[in-house]
Amino acid sequence: MKSPLPAMISLRGVTLVYPNGVRALDNVNLEIEKGDFVFLVGDSGTGKSSLLRLLYREARSTAGEIIVDGIRVDRLRRKRVPALRRHLGVVFQDFKLLVDKTVWENVAFAMQVTGAHTRDVMRQVPRVLDLVGLSHKSRMYPGELSGGEQQRAAIARALVNNPKILLCDEPTGNLDPANTTEITALLQRINLKGTTVVVATHNQAVVDRMRRRVVRLADGRITTDEERGYYYLGLGQTQVLSG
Amino acid sequence: MKNGATIILDWGKLKFFLGEVLRNFSRNTGMQVTAIGTVAITIVLLGLFLFVRGELADVGSRLLDQIEVSAYLHTDVTQAQVTAIAHFLAADPRVASAQFVPKKQALAELRARTRGTIDTALLTENPLPDKFRIKTRVPDDVPAVAASVRRLSGVENVVYGQKIVQRLLQLGAVLRRIGIAVIAVFFAVAGIIISNTIRLTVFARRREIAIMQLVGATGTYIRLPFICEGLLAGVVGALLAVALLAAARVALWPRLLEALPWVQLAAMPLDARLFVAELVAVGAAIGVVASWISVGRHLRT
Repeated sequence: MKSPLPAMISLRGVTLVYPNGVRALDNVNLEIEKGDFVFLVGDSGTGKSSLLRLLYREARSTAGEIIVDGIRVDRLRRKRVPALRRHLGVVFQDFKLLVDKTVWENVAFAMQVTGAHTRDVMRQVPRVLDLVGLSHKSRMYPGELSGGEQQRAAIARALVNNPKILLCDEPTGNLDPANTTEITALLQRINLKGTTVVVATHNQAVVDRMRRRVVRLADGRITTDEERGYYYLGLGQTQVLSG
Repeated sequence: MKNGATIILDWGKLKFFLGEVLRNFSRNTGMQVTAIGTVAITIVLLGLFLFVRGELADVGSRLLDQIEVSAYLHTDVTQAQVTAIAHFLAADPRVASAQFVPKKQALAELRARTRGTIDTALLTENPLPDKFRIKTRVPDDVPAVAASVRRLSGVENVVYGQKIVQRLLQLGAVLRRIGIAVIAVFFAVAGIIISNTIRLTVFARRREIAIMQLVGATGTYIRLPFICEGLLAGVVGALLAVALLAAARVALWPRLLEALPWVQLAAMPLDARLFVAELVAVGAAIGVVASWISVGRHLRT
């Protein structure tokens, strides 16, 4: 797993203590290379979401060093946060689509509010809608779509600014098995195009089918990091880390 | 990838932006009406206040304009002293005019003024002294000029409407102070109401804002539509207030003249165009400041 290239995402000794005293992450060390596909697994409240939130600077670490695509996120000033976010796409369990905008408008919104040229919007939006397979529903509103389609629209929005990294927080948490399969396949396709993908999930089927790198968290610490892991420990080649 | 709000305008962008502002503005009609109404009321009050203050200042200054200083000279004053006093007054920049009134002329004036009430023909000699009649450029200078003239040799006594001048000057100062306090209170009230309205708008749009922040829109870009909204509410409110004031002026002026026949009211004590511009600027400022503060508060948390 050692590589001469600088890691796309690097956490060293990262600790996150929330103001209420909860220690969400405790001395976490993690390197994710460019083009990696990584699952973060673990029970609820073990720090998966917190780790993602640190990466897109929704939360600030209490200690440690965080580097995302060459940016020192732990030292990032508030004014520079928008620049970081343009390097990242983020997808959530609840899609976070705007219900009064069509699929097309939802996707275009992410470009328009970052000051993109109309010309680029017109070129880029159809491209990502095609990638997620929603071109034929671009004029529909989120309320008219299935859960899987809504998540595909959300993924299109996350990808429209060409991020190098896609962060997914329980992307299939609200979906039935068929839609879950569909979204999983889509994430794999995106990863094959070179985007680094980090997925925090509870879904055993997704992890077991994909057989990709699995980082397991318990009580805010990384307990195992497997190259081709399963959701449950002991089925793959295991490398036990600190903790 | 570019950083910051390098917003190069193209037609599509502008259409998108204006669309967002309008969509927002029309979605929260109720709140907008409240905000605009409050601004309008505030500015009507402010306008009335400025108008009344202008009237009072106008009436007061006309009263003050009539006030003059009389410097009475000694009965044995020499021609040289009179000339010296005249030179002194001519050199003082505060003095608008200084007129020497010899005692003969003073008696003639007294006769004219008291014709039929006092028989001045009974006087065997002229009891009146020579005097200077002095007018200042600014009423505020009257006491100081009077004091400096009193010190000159040959001057017996200096008289002016001390009480009236002091009262009027004090009244002016008090009114100015009350005015500033009242305006400050109006400002605060309107600001609070607009900022509450914008806060409701911000709340209604919290999903959009969250997504803008997520995809990397800058703080300025996120604020801009709300600032525009505040500006719009402020300006529309101010224009409404101006219309109300103009209507009130037309409808109530004749009655006011009838009700106060003894006061000489100025039809328009203020520069009308400047007055309107000021009111609109005040409305715009309230809107912008209030919305800036309330959006900023939301973005920080």
